[in-house]
Amino acid sequence: MGNEKTVLLIDDEPAFLEPLVDALSFHGVRVLTARTGEEGLEILTKETVNLVSVDVMMDPGESLRGKTSSQHAGLFVCKEIRRMFPGMAVFCISVINDRELIREIQKCGARFLRKGETPLRTVLQMMRASLTGVAYSTDEHDLEF
Amino acid sequence: MPKSSNDEQNRPATREELEARVASLTKKLHELEVRFSQVDRERIEYLQNVAHQLVAPLNAIKWHIENLTNARMSLERSKKVLRSVYSQATIAVHLAKNFALMSNLEADHSLAQLQEPVESVDLYRLLVNLADDFQPLGWDKQVHISVDESLKKAPPVLAIKNLIAQVFSNIIENAVKYSAKETTVRISSELESGAVRVLVRSRGIRLRAEDRARVFDRGFRSPDARNSHPAGTGFGLYIARKIVEIHDGEIMAYTDPQDCTVFEVLLDT
Repeated sequence: MGNEKTVLLIDDEPAFLEPLVDALSFHGVRVLTARTGEEGLEILTKETVNLVSVDVMMDPGESLRGKTSSQHAGLFVCKEIRRMFPGMAVFCISVINDRELIREIQKCGARFLRKGETPLRTVLQMMRASLTGVAYSTDEHDLEF
Repeated sequence: MPKSSNDEQNRPATREELEARVASLTKKLHELEVRFSQVDRERIEYLQNVAHQLVAPLNAIKWHIENLTNARMSLERSKKVLRSVYSQATIAVHLAKNFALMSNLEADHSLAQLQEPVESVDLYRLLVNLADDFQPLGWDKQVHISVDESLKKAPPVLAIKNLIAQVFSNIIENAVKYSAKETTVRISSELESGAVRVLVRSRGIRLRAEDRARVFDRGFRSPDARNSHPAGTGFGLYIARKIVEIHDGEIMAYTDPQDCTVFEVLLDT
């Protein structure tokens, strides 16, 4: 399909990564995954990606360890994406509660969603809306990207 | 009449003296408030951390269930998803048990479970059950858990079963979590006079010499552990040490020259 969308998921927790990969794949999205911030940024330089989803607390990866902590790796990645790929649709899906940190992430232009708390279906609808401009739909069959 | 020292003591305090005393008491009160709020902050942080960790596996389960209701989920894939759901449920139960123990430890430095009777515990059966329980955690990394034949020959230890189970739960969960891909967590035992030594060996994150003792401290997580797994309470091994101490046993950890990280628990038979 010519208009197939590609989503990159940067997250080191398989427990959340797997259901998100499943859900996106069910709806015809090509999914790429990265386990560290470093790996994610590398994929972005090589592949055509339409949307990136970033976790906050994760391993930044070997080369980024001096620049950020695992507590803030997601914020660092969001800033890098903004600098290197302005205009990229960025979602940040995390369990963090730190309001200050969430605000900083949102300032980078990332959409913040609470991991797990936000139903998977809502995550998909929001990603679809961001990618295709089609707003919310309650029809399961309409949830195509 | 000369003033007696008694008079000196009994005379009413001057305004300046009273003000100085009030100021000194106010300062002390303020210091106590600061200390109290620090303790309070630590407690709140701990509770938030635990709440987070407990909620995470439950939320992961919810996402998986959303997918299981999707007609596009293949039978093959749904089997794998159900294994993952099982593994997340195991983590949630494990954390909830730790949380209950931790609440007791924090509240009065004793464990409610201490009222449970000491009994003969068959280590082989206990560890086989725990290996089965925690195996799902290793599937992603293809980490396996093996229980050595030596444990079959180990005499039963005298212990409070629920507590000792949590000691080994914490050690095994830790070992699987920090194991490198495609490795095996090996559980074995050695007989000593009047005691059994259980050894849990794994390959993955090395334990630095300076962290050998600190690894059992309340809330401690090594930088390597934090990097590879940002989420974690740092309470599992602290709880393990507390329980072993109650049993007059010994617990230690080290990385041997062959790069195996070993946890040893010595318990009386």
